Amino acid sequence: MPFTLTETFKTRAALVCARYPRKDAALIPLLQELQREKGYVAEEAMDALAVFLGLPYSRVKAVVTFYTMFNRVPAGKYHLQVCRNVSCHMAGAPGLLARLREKLGIAEGETTKDGLFTLSAVECLGACGTAPVMQVNDTYFEKLDAGKLDALLEDLRHGRLRAIGR
Amino acid sequence: MPKLTIDGKTLEVAKGTTVLEAAQQLGVHVPRYCYHPKLSVSGNCRMCLVEVEKSPKLLTACSTEAAEGMVVHTATEKVKAARRDVLEYLLLNHPLDCPVCDQAGECGLQDYYMEHSRAKSRFPAEDKVRRQKRRPLGPHLVLDNERCILCTRCVRFCAEVTKTAELEVMERGDRSFIDLKEGRALDNGYSLNIADVCPVGAWTSRDFRFKQRVWFLKKTPTVCLGCATGCLTEVHHNEGAIYRVMPRPNAETNTWLCDAGRMVYKAVQAGDRLAKGVIKNGLIELEPALRETASRIDENHAAAAVLGSPWLSVEDNAALARLAKDALKTENFSFDFNAEQGIKDGILINKDPAPNAAGARRVKAACGGLSFGELAAKVASGAVKVLVTEARAAALLKNELKAGGARLIVFAANRSEIPQGAYATLPYANYFETPGTFVNFQGLERRTVPAVAAPEGVRPLWAMVNRLAVYSGTSLHLDSAEAALKGIL
Repeated sequence: MPFTLTETFKTRAALVCARYPRKDAALIPLLQELQREKGYVAEEAMDALAVFLGLPYSRVKAVVTFYTMFNRVPAGKYHLQVCRNVSCHMAGAPGLLARLREKLGIAEGETTKDGLFTLSAVECLGACGTAPVMQVNDTYFEKLDAGKLDALLEDLRHGRLRAIGR
Repeated sequence: MPKLTIDGKTLEVAKGTTVLEAAQQLGVHVPRYCYHPKLSVSGNCRMCLVEVEKSPKLLTACSTEAAEGMVVHTATEKVKAARRDVLEYLLLNHPLDCPVCDQAGECGLQDYYMEHSRAKSRFPAEDKVRRQKRRPLGPHLVLDNERCILCTRCVRFCAEVTKTAELEVMERGDRSFIDLKEGRALDNGYSLNIADVCPVGAWTSRDFRFKQRVWFLKKTPTVCLGCATGCLTEVHHNEGAIYRVMPRPNAETNTWLCDAGRMVYKAVQAGDRLAKGVIKNGLIELEPALRETASRIDENHAAAAVLGSPWLSVEDNAALARLAKDALKTENFSFDFNAEQGIKDGILINKDPAPNAAGARRVKAACGGLSFGELAAKVASGAVKVLVTEARAAALLKNELKAGGARLIVFAANRSEIPQGAYATLPYANYFETPGTFVNFQGLERRTVPAVAAPEGVRPLWAMVNRLAVYSGTSLHLDSAEAALKGIL
């Protein structure tokens, strides 16, 4: 079945577009909207959005691939997004990533077989002051170390997505 | 009108002029990759960094507007160091492909490396980012993402010139690469310009790849005869063979060149190129073919007609006019072509596929003759028994020839051009092989310059006409192209 934009989406999109002087400025908010609906932005969705906004498909694809916050495939229940930029890198992000790879048995971009975890290395999360940082779904976990990471994983395995002691 | 000083020389430039353009006016070349005079400014390659007094940092000359009192230095130690560093950065992930890269010899990276860097890479080859190599994208191009320096000239060309916007930079950081929609071909009618604007070996022409090293090529400036636009071109050839046709940017007509125009040269060295005459589908030597043709014309001397051709040069049309007036002594000739002209696609391709309708009309203005309609009516009615013309022009009278049954004698360069039912065909040298004058849709007179020699025995059309007249017992004294032009241009 070909992908079609839902009526709910179109209604919301009209509101979003009204906030900007140019239609193409609404591209990122609308991609976020699509991702909220489905959990990811499919190739067909990019096509449909390009037509909807009157933009070339390549432009939409370029924006989706530029930002690590857009998923191009469905993610697991918990999307572990470890910042890989300078501050986090220097504060130990590579160690965290290696630990996650080892404990989950997956590489960046992969999802565990039980569908619980997806591991990603992402670009700057804007929390350099509390590096290293990992975002799980929409929640930030800051000043992480191996111990906190293990505790967090344990929590998540039991379905508890909650802040840990700072 | 801001006045600024560049490397000690002061000049005044129009408002809005960039520092790079101002430097160019002084003859100072600021190195650049992403800047292109006909594309929007991107400022991403950083190669054009220059020092501007009172500015704490170096500025990109391509995106800095010249301002009153600005003092610019393009060759200080600071600038030189910046160029070296930018080159080191651009070459970080660049593969060591030069020996097998088709761009070698006309590569921006090679040229600027020799001029501005000559530094040894500090980056181990095994750490380089690997990318997709030699991906054919569309009928004309191959993309090598590894060689790309992400200047985005190709992206901007597709977005701004053809407005098809196929290309974009995907991903980010050192993972960035140029790509288009999966499964889509890059075929917008102007795609080969992308190989031209690409400053490195990322985009190469499938037609030209590996045929010839560029330093062996000789360059002949000439004119494209693909349509009535008449773009200025440059033919690149070596040892009698043409390898590619490139645009010769000019203010009047063209910066670019369409894909179709670039492929016109293929006919010159095609397998069906005519070097002999053809009588009723049978190849025969040129002299007997001329004799046979002349006697067929003589048979119907009183009912012969000549039609010029918008595909022929003014010289060759003039020779045909002389044949009609002085050898056949007939009034049945026409050089009247009025196809609608104008740019069809907003870029370069003309509504009129023939290059010289305006040139043919100049022959008409000098020699008179019938209107195209009048001649067509005579052919259709059967009043014309034998018609001499050029192969593609004969197609304009296809139905009339069928109705009137006139014997058709054509000049053709390639066998595939010969219209069905032609009685005799005579070969001629085409305009990659012989000079000719063409008048484009703007009324600009342009001359083709021969790049290669015609096949043995094949002569320009005016010389063939001269021979034909001799066989009919008349001397037209057409000893040169200039002789044919007498009284016309």
